[in-house]
Amino acid sequence: MDGIAKQKVAGGKLVTVKLQYSGRVDSIRILGDFFIHPESGLEQIERALVGENLDETALSSNVARTARENGIEMIGVTPEAIASTIMMAVKR
Amino acid sequence: MRWRVIGLETHDAFLNMALDDSISESVRNGADPTIRFYRWRPSAVSIGQFQSMRDEINIPMCMELGIDYIRRKTGGGAVYHDEKGEITYSVIAPEGLLPKGILESYRVICGWVIKGLEAIGIAAEFAPINDILVNGRKISGNAQTRRYGVLLQHGTILYDLDIKTMFAVLNVSKEKISDKMIKSVEERVTRVLDYKDIAQQGLYEGLLKGFTEGKEYYMGELGRGEMERASELAEAVFKAESWSFMR
Repeated sequence: MDGIAKQKVAGGKLVTVKLQYSGRVDSIRILGDFFIHPESGLEQIERALVGENLDETALSSNVARTARENGIEMIGVTPEAIASTIMMAVKR
Repeated sequence: MRWRVIGLETHDAFLNMALDDSISESVRNGADPTIRFYRWRPSAVSIGQFQSMRDEINIPMCMELGIDYIRRKTGGGAVYHDEKGEITYSVIAPEGLLPKGILESYRVICGWVIKGLEAIGIAAEFAPINDILVNGRKISGNAQTRRYGVLLQHGTILYDLDIKTMFAVLNVSKEKISDKMIKSVEERVTRVLDYKDIAQQGLYEGLLKGFTEGKEYYMGELGRGEMERASELAEAVFKAESWSFMR
């Protein structure tokens, strides 16, 4: 199945998730007007999410872990916001 | 540290963004930190690195109006760059010349924009993350990237506003507007001409003053190598569909 969702991060920017899923994340695109330093970090975050369970806490931890391990700085978006947008995309 | 300042130039979107890259490369190789001011001809829309071209931009309308569309190397949102309606700047410097924290460095460089507006009698304020406001309305958007030890920040200062064209080429997000409890772009965006009857050249002179105050600097030019490298990057990267439509 596939889903799409968009939301404004509290105190931050817009985040859009385009998702293909089947109980887990099959493929994902994260889009928006936020900042990621270095920019290549967003693809690392997307790659790491593939195969993750559709559980908001697990998704959020996955993004936080990828950011921490790779020295990725997120501005205007958070692991929690990405996770909740993924769950919105699933519910729709 | 002496800054090189490149006075107001006009290029197309692809060369403008490629020049930021080629100057970043030369600064990485030891060239002086650089401040440049420029306009866009033809007018163009740019999107942030993480946005989708098709989602953000009305491409058929751009083609009809002869407006270029380009993906930036920086994050942030979609911007309409009207040839006569704005001045854009870029600051390209070794990271060590500016605060390490990204938000703090936004504050410092946006402070130069604010000083420039002050020089022409407009009181503006920094609104984190990356905006500058006048009376609560956005007059300037800014975006930053750091690669190989070089910081690039570019931003626009709205001089005039062609709202009709801007609406025609940008797919403005309803979520963004409703979140801020404001009904229209007109109510959340402002321009120099709303506050000051001044020529675009006058705004440029104000900005030049704001950006150079307290700095050792000289008015310089683009090197031949920088220009040639930018022409290569414009073709190989910024005009490539693989870059424009990567998201």
